[in-house]
Amino acid sequence: MRSKLSSLARVVVGAAVLALGAAYAQVTISYLTHWPPETVDLLSAAIDKYEAANPGVKIEVRAVPFGNLLSTLRSQATSPNGPTITGIYELWLPELVKSGIADAAPDAYSADVLANWPAGLVGSVSSDGTVYGYPNEVNLYALNYNKRLFAEAGIDGPPTTWEELIADAKKLTKRQGNTIVQQGFGLINSWPAGVVHPWLSFVYSNGGKFLDGTTATLDSPATEAVTELYHQLIFDDKVTDPAMGTANASTTGPYLQNFANGQTAMIVMANWWQSALRDSMGDAFDDIATAPIPVGPNGTDPHPVSYAWLTMVNSHATAEQRAAAWAFLEWLDGPTSGENGSSAMGDILSSMGIIPSRNSDVAAHSDELSSPFLQGYVSQLSNAIPFPTILGGEEISNALQQWLERVEFGQSSVADMTKNANKEIDEILERNY
Amino acid sequence: MQRRLLMAVQYLVYALIVVLMLFPLFWMVASSFKTPQELQALPPVWLPSSIDFSAYARAFSTVPFARSFLNSFVIAGGSTLGILITSIMAGYVFAKLHFRGRNQLFALVLSTMFLPPIVMLVPLYKIVQSLGLVDTLAGVMLPNIANAFGIFLMRQFIAGIPDELLESARLDGASEWTNLWRIVFPLLGPAIAALVVFAFTFHWNSFLWPLTVLQSPDQQTVVLALNRLVSYTSAIKFQNVVMAGAVISVLPNVLLFVFLQRYFIAGIAHTGSKG
Amino acid sequence: MTRRRTTPWPLILLSPGVGLLVLFVLLPILLTAWISLHTWSMYTPLSQMDYVGLANYRGLLNDRTFIRGLWNTLAYSGLSITLILPLAFFVGQLLYRGLIRGKSTLRAVVFLPYMIPTIAVAIIWGYLYAPLYGPLNQVLGWFGIAPRAWLGSVDQAMISLVIFNVWQTLGYYTVLMVAGLTQIPAVYFEAAVIDGANGWQQTWRITLPLLRRTLLFVVVIAMINSVQVFDPVYVLTQGGPASATTVLSYQVYKNAFEFGLAGKASSMAFVLFLVLVVAVAAVMRLLRDPTGES
Repeated sequence: MRSKLSSLARVVVGAAVLALGAAYAQVTISYLTHWPPETVDLLSAAIDKYEAANPGVKIEVRAVPFGNLLSTLRSQATSPNGPTITGIYELWLPELVKSGIADAAPDAYSADVLANWPAGLVGSVSSDGTVYGYPNEVNLYALNYNKRLFAEAGIDGPPTTWEELIADAKKLTKRQGNTIVQQGFGLINSWPAGVVHPWLSFVYSNGGKFLDGTTATLDSPATEAVTELYHQLIFDDKVTDPAMGTANASTTGPYLQNFANGQTAMIVMANWWQSALRDSMGDAFDDIATAPIPVGPNGTDPHPVSYAWLTMVNSHATAEQRAAAWAFLEWLDGPTSGENGSSAMGDILSSMGIIPSRNSDVAAHSDELSSPFLQGYVSQLSNAIPFPTILGGEEISNALQQWLERVEFGQSSVADMTKNANKEIDEILERNY
Repeated sequence: MQRRLLMAVQYLVYALIVVLMLFPLFWMVASSFKTPQELQALPPVWLPSSIDFSAYARAFSTVPFARSFLNSFVIAGGSTLGILITSIMAGYVFAKLHFRGRNQLFALVLSTMFLPPIVMLVPLYKIVQSLGLVDTLAGVMLPNIANAFGIFLMRQFIAGIPDELLESARLDGASEWTNLWRIVFPLLGPAIAALVVFAFTFHWNSFLWPLTVLQSPDQQTVVLALNRLVSYTSAIKFQNVVMAGAVISVLPNVLLFVFLQRYFIAGIAHTGSKG
Repeated sequence: MTRRRTTPWPLILLSPGVGLLVLFVLLPILLTAWISLHTWSMYTPLSQMDYVGLANYRGLLNDRTFIRGLWNTLAYSGLSITLILPLAFFVGQLLYRGLIRGKSTLRAVVFLPYMIPTIAVAIIWGYLYAPLYGPLNQVLGWFGIAPRAWLGSVDQAMISLVIFNVWQTLGYYTVLMVAGLTQIPAVYFEAAVIDGANGWQQTWRITLPLLRRTLLFVVVIAMINSVQVFDPVYVLTQGGPASATTVLSYQVYKNAFEFGLAGKASSMAFVLFLVLVVAVAAVMRLLRDPTGES
C-alpha cells in the first residue's frame, strides 16, 4: 500500500513539475549502517551537503546496532523498501552476491575503485573479478600493551617472539592466592571476531593458515601450535584468565574494562577500539602502546589479520534508486566531499579512530594516522593478510570461536579441537562449494 | 510467646524479601543519576551525590524514546483491543453455544497456548513479509491478536454467567450477537480488566517478535530502543544513560501496576484456580 | 429448557479468533515442519527452497552446539522450577497464613518485577553482575567471599541467568500458589488442629497434597515459560562463554537470521516443540492425582 502511494505521489509530482517546465523526478534512497549516533550525525551532515547540490535525490539514514545489522539486511533485502545502500562487513559479500542481492558496480564506478584503492582492498569488495561496492574502513590487529605496567615490571619493550611473550606475561601476572588479579596476557571470548581474529593473527605470524583453498588446515603444525600456545598460557604458565575476557553484545565489556583498568597487561585487538578505550581510560590512555604481533617459531614476520567494510547497493532497488545510490557513493568516497582532499567517508572514519582505505584519504589523514596508538597498526598494513572472504564465513568463524572457547575453558583438549573444528569447517565449506 | 517469636521471624523474612526484590530497582534508579566519575569509582558507589537528569536527556537524544513510546502504545493497545474482541466472541461460543466438535476445538485452541513462539518465528516472519507488513506496527500486531489465553480466560468467565439470562432473551427472539453484546458483555468487567492488563503488559514487554519485524529506528518499540541504547554505550561511564533508558522503559508498566494490580492478580488467580 | 439450534453464529463469532489462530499459529507450525526438510537462506522466496529430507535433523545429532543448547534449555528450565516452586510456596504461605500485617504490600513488591520487560531486567542484572563495577561482588566482599566472574564464568553463567529469572517471575507463581491455597477448605485445618497436628505436619499432610493441582499447573507453566528464554541470552551473553548459556531459541534466531540457515533453524525449533510436548506430558503423568482427577 505504501509503495503504491509513494509511486502515485511520484507520478503526481512528476506531472506537476513537467507542467512547470522542469523535468526531473525525486528519488529516495536509504542508507543502512551500524554506526553510533555521533557518527550518524556526521554522515547526515555529509548527506545534507549532497542533497543541497543534488536536489533530485533524498537519502534517509537507518541506523541499527552492529548485532542487528546482518539480520536486518537478511530480512529486509528483498522487500520493496529495503535498504538501498548498506554498510557491510566484507565476509558477508559472497553470500549476498550468490543470492543476487549485491548489485554489480557499473563500469565507471568499478574503474574508480580499481584506480583509487590498494589491490588487497579491491579484492575484499570483489567476487569473481567483479566489483560490488566501495571499500571504506580497514581494520587490523596489533598487540596492545600497558607501558606503565611494563615499566613497573622492569620490562623494556614489547615482546616480538613467543618466548618473549611468555616471559613478559609471567612477570606481568599478579595473583592473590589462586586467583589472577592482573593477567599478563588477555584473551577475548563471547564474540566471534574477538576470538578468531587474534588467534588467526598468531597463526599467520607463525607461518600457518587455517584454510587452503577450500580445505581446512587447522591440523597443520604451524596452526595447531597457536592453539597449544593458548592452552599453555592458560593452564601451564597461568598468565591468562579467560573469565576476564568476556565481551558483551556491543563487542565491548569486561575484556575492555580489564585492560582499561590495568588488570590486563597485554591483549591483541583491532584499531577501532581506540575510541572505546579512550572513553574508558581518559588520560590514562597515554599508557597504552601498540606493537606488531609476536612472531612464532615457525614464522619470519608478523602478519596481522585485516578485514574491511564496504558499502554495497541493493540489486532489488529500482534502476533510478541504484543509479542515485552509486552516484552518491562515488561522491561520498571521493576527494571532493571532505576537507583538505579527503573524502567525507575518510573524515567520518578518522573521527572514530578508524583507518580509511582510499589512497588519497590515507594521505589526507596522515597526521591522525601517525598518532602513537595508530602507528602500531598503520605500519603493519602492508604485512596484513585479509581474513578469507568465503561463502559460509560467518558460520566458520562461529565454529572456530566455539572450539577455541572450549579449549580456553578446559572443556576440550587441543587435539580434539583441531580434529573436530577441522571437520566442522570442512563440512561448512563442502556445503557451500 | 511462641506466636510472637513466629511473627518476628515472619517480619524478618518480609523485610528480607522486600530488600531482595527492590534492590535491583533501587540500583537502576540510583545509577541513572550517577556522574561518570561515580560510575567509574572503585569500589562501586551506591548513592549518587546529586539528582542529575543529564543521563535521561542523553538517553532521549541517543535513541528516539519519545517516538518509541508511541509505537509501543499503538502495538500494545491495538493488540489488546484485537485480543479483547476476538476473545470475547470466541469465549462466548465456547462457553454458551453448542455445536458438534466444540469441546475438541476448544482443546485444540488451548493447546496452542503451549507453543513457544520461537517455533513459529521464521514462517511467521515470511507470512508477514508476504503481506508487505515488514517494519510496520501492523505487522507486529496482526499475529499478536491470535491469542488462545484470552479465549481461555473469557470462556472460563462467561461459563459462570447463568444460562437463564440468555435463554429468556432467546425466547424473546434475540440473536446470539445481541445476547453477547447486550447481556454478556456488560457482565465481563473483571475479566476484561484482567485481560487488558495482561495483554497490554505482555505486548509492551515483548522483544523477540518486534525485534524480528521492526528495523527502522522510528518504528521501534520502547524495549527495542533500550536494546539499541545498550549497543551504543561502550564504556562503563555511560551506564547512567543505559540505566536511565531502563527506568524510562520500565516506568509505564510500574505505573500501570500500581493502579491496576488487583485486576492483574485477580486475573492470574482466576486462571490458576481452574487448573 | 435448552434448544439446540443450528445457527451461523458459532461460525461467525469464532472465525476472527480461531481464524487468526489458524493463520498465525497452525499454519506456521506446519510451515516450520515443512521448511525443516529444506535448506533455505531466506533471501529467496519460499518456493525456491532446496529439499533435503531429514538431513537437517541428522546434522543436529552431531552438532555439539545444538546438543549443548538443548541441554542448557532444559537445565535453565529445571533449575528455575527447582528454585521457584519452594520459594513460591513459601512466600505464598506467608501471604496466606502469615501473622504479619501489610500483606498486600508484600504481594505487590514480590509481583512488581514481573511487570518489567525481560530485556530491562537482563540489563539491570548485567550491571549487578559486573565483576568490577557491580555491587554484588562488593557485597560478597563484605562477607569475605572472593569476587565471582558471574556471567563471565562457564560454571556460573547459567545459574546467574536463572537467579534473575526467578527474581522476575516469582511473583506470578506466588499468586498462583495463593490462589491454590485459598481453595483448600478451612475445615481440614480445623480438624487437624483439633487432632493436635502442628504447623509442619499440617503443611506436609494437608496443604501439599491438596495443592497438587496448583503445583502441577505452576510446574507446567514455568516449564513452558522458561523453555522460551531468549532476551537475556541475546543481550547479555550471546550464548557464551564457551556455549555455557546457549539456548535453543537463541540458536534458532542466529541460524535463521545471521547464518541464513532457515532450514536448520526450523529443525531446531521443531525439536524444541517435540521436547516440550514430551516434557509436559511426562510431568503431567508424574504429578497425576492417583485417584485419576487431574
